[in-house]
Amino acid sequence: MLKDITFGQFLPGASSLHRLDPRAKILFLIAVIVFIFITGNYFALALVAAFIIALMFASKIPLKMYLKSMKMILFIVLFTGIINLFYGKGDPLVQIGFLKITEAGINNAIFVALRIALLIIASSMLTFTTSPTDLTDAIERLLKPLGVFHIKIHEIAMMMTIALRFVPTLLEETDKIMSAQKARGADLDSGNLIKRVKALIPVLIPLFVSAFKRAEDLATAMECRCYQGGSGRTRMKRLRFGKIDFYGLLISIAVLGGVILCNIFLPAVVR
Amino acid sequence: MEDFINIENVSFSYSADDENIAAPEYVLKDISMKIKKGEFVALLGHNGCGKSTLARLLNAMSLPNKGKIYINGVDTSQTSSVFDIRKTVGLVLQNPDNQLVASIVEEDVAFGPENLGIEPSEIRKRVDDALKAVDMYDYRAHAPFKLSGGQKQRVAIAGIIAMQPQCLVLDEPTAMLDPKGRDEVMSTVKKLNRENGITIVLITHYMDEAVQADRVIVMDDGKVLISGRPREVFSQVELLKRHRLDVPQATELMYRLKGRGFSCDEMPLNSDECIRQLEKMLKRNN
Amino acid sequence: MNIIETEDLSFVYGQGTPFEKKANDRLNIQIKEGEFVGIIGHTGSGKSTLVQMLNGLIKPTSGVVRLCGKDIWEAPKEIRSIRFKVGLVFQYPEYQLFEETVEKDIAYGPGNMGLDEEEIRRRVLSAASFAGLRQELLNKSPFDLSGGEKRRAAIAGVIAMDPDVLILDEPTAGLDPAGRDVLLAQISQYHKKRKNTVLLVSHSMEDIARTADRILVMNKGRAAMLDDRKNVFSRGDELEKMGLRVPQITRIMSQLKKMGYNVPSGVLTVEQAANELHSLLGKGIFDE
Repeated sequence: MLKDITFGQFLPGASSLHRLDPRAKILFLIAVIVFIFITGNYFALALVAAFIIALMFASKIPLKMYLKSMKMILFIVLFTGIINLFYGKGDPLVQIGFLKITEAGINNAIFVALRIALLIIASSMLTFTTSPTDLTDAIERLLKPLGVFHIKIHEIAMMMTIALRFVPTLLEETDKIMSAQKARGADLDSGNLIKRVKALIPVLIPLFVSAFKRAEDLATAMECRCYQGGSGRTRMKRLRFGKIDFYGLLISIAVLGGVILCNIFLPAVVR
Repeated sequence: MEDFINIENVSFSYSADDENIAAPEYVLKDISMKIKKGEFVALLGHNGCGKSTLARLLNAMSLPNKGKIYINGVDTSQTSSVFDIRKTVGLVLQNPDNQLVASIVEEDVAFGPENLGIEPSEIRKRVDDALKAVDMYDYRAHAPFKLSGGQKQRVAIAGIIAMQPQCLVLDEPTAMLDPKGRDEVMSTVKKLNRENGITIVLITHYMDEAVQADRVIVMDDGKVLISGRPREVFSQVELLKRHRLDVPQATELMYRLKGRGFSCDEMPLNSDECIRQLEKMLKRNN
Repeated sequence: MNIIETEDLSFVYGQGTPFEKKANDRLNIQIKEGEFVGIIGHTGSGKSTLVQMLNGLIKPTSGVVRLCGKDIWEAPKEIRSIRFKVGLVFQYPEYQLFEETVEKDIAYGPGNMGLDEEEIRRRVLSAASFAGLRQELLNKSPFDLSGGEKRRAAIAGVIAMDPDVLILDEPTAGLDPAGRDVLLAQISQYHKKRKNTVLLVSHSMEDIARTADRILVMNKGRAAMLDDRKNVFSRGDELEKMGLRVPQITRIMSQLKKMGYNVPSGVLTVEQAANELHSLLGKGIFDE
């Protein structure tokens, strides 16, 4: 069911990762993505993997949740891995018809699959340990300089907050409307593409109507709570770059150094 | 007690400003009422009688076409005081799902005070106090969509309470809830009225909720039909039935017995009162 | 004859995960043709899961649902035809309206059944009249109707499929007393005229007391009672323990009975209570 999606969910907790400044976390995620993509050999990759695994333990989020978020895109990981398997240059180790597997192909496959997997784990870690409001709040503050170009950062962040808040509500509503139309004999699961798209109309129109009604109510509720845009607004949670963020920064720099050293001094793999 | 809300000859139409409509249809027709500070008023009437419109007028979400509304002596049509009025008179809507802005309970409750530009440490305090007042403090880190209807509605109430209003206007806050949720919301509202001295205007269809108020105002077709203490209002069984409104079964039973020539001292409003009355009557007659 | 019968019907949410939750646990219920059965139970007691299993929207984890003696999942591909025979009106059904006109919206169900135009038209008109919708509303957009009318239009959409069993999940939720009275009267009348089976799920004991002949009480996923309404309501204490409330009038009368007065239990209407008390009180001043 639609409700079972774990990717992008927030799991409240009190781990050191939960307590990191969300702005720092976004920057760390960007750093980790960079690490993942500059790894040139297995040692560097192992180092980044070890770093991410250490963070997974530090997050105190059950391993199961990471696996669940992986499950959703396992197909993509395997698919790209397998495609890459046949994409290497050099002498074939195995040849099946026109498909050949080379050493470079195997390396490619492992690298691509691991990189995507690590990427997913790292981004899940961010959303698992950061509340959506913190996340949008951090994005708002990180992007604040763009306000110079008359980009309405506060409005964009507010829209993100509300979108995140209403995703589960609307998913639940979609489930309900689909059931209601099925009870009226709607056939949503068979037929060709055109037939299926047509069959969705009785689901989409009520969904839009209700979304508009909700938007109207929400606007009223926000006005009742004295919302008047971003100016003059304060925030309950002050974001502070603390000791813990500083240590995080140090560790990241160390890992970055490690990755670079591995890349320089250890042999690169055949790609 | 002083008059906290003063409604003077108010009329309202959604199409009054539309020049194409010669005779706009008025939802509220020359209505006047006063509500005292700390009072708990229940507003009854069937759909389309103008209750919800009145609720929106009370916190300056809409303005009267004719007449004036004063909150603490301040005219709601003064544009400069709109936000003062909205934080003094908080409005809670029917569907709790559509009122919650943030994905975490405490962050949602903080939304109002944040809009008012209050100091972060003070917001924290207000959020904690508000969540404790509605008995939802233990759920402060939860996601609203995982809560029950009654819990969500209490969070919505906390969101208003955190702005420290003097009055709460609740527009059918229990209509979408199950009996348990209704009880939770009602006891929260009563507690806020009793312990925090907050003036309550409760719009409802449920008679068992209305009987708990200090005063019941019945509206019909944009006018006030009757207003008085619950016992006075619900004694008028005929009138209420004629206007297709419910009467508590306890009251109706006694009304029917009265009609058959039995006398009782006082019209009962709930089952306990009714049983006491019946016991007295049975003892007297045997 | 039993039109609906369940045998050890169970449904488990999230089977095999740590969040596993039994929504229905070995339900064995029989519903006779032409009955009006009320289903009560607090939120999470398994009412909604049960009714969705009865029309094949949810497949049971184990156990069988029989419609007219036949297992509804015997031919899984034919499950749509079961939904035409067991019509289910969801909570807040007005959220399913989507067509340009009320008439077209009511025609959606019959259209899915593959009926011809003439038959569809006939059914739409009859369903609209059962639901108490005036003719002139049929050409309006469903979104321009009042709250109560929208609700009835959506119910008409299910009635138009002419189901043998009509299930309504909380049909009066959120309506005002006048809207509620009109709707309950329409449903009762429909049941009387069509003589088919109606199942009404509600939180409101008053609604159920006014309409149903028999009552199914759900508690923690199990069928706690299935009996005539009088018998069910005379077990007020047990109901209250399950977090359910009997109608005020029933409570008053059973309290008097407990105090030793000679009144029957399971009194459901104010009229009946007044009659009982009248004879108990002896003569009023008008009787002399």
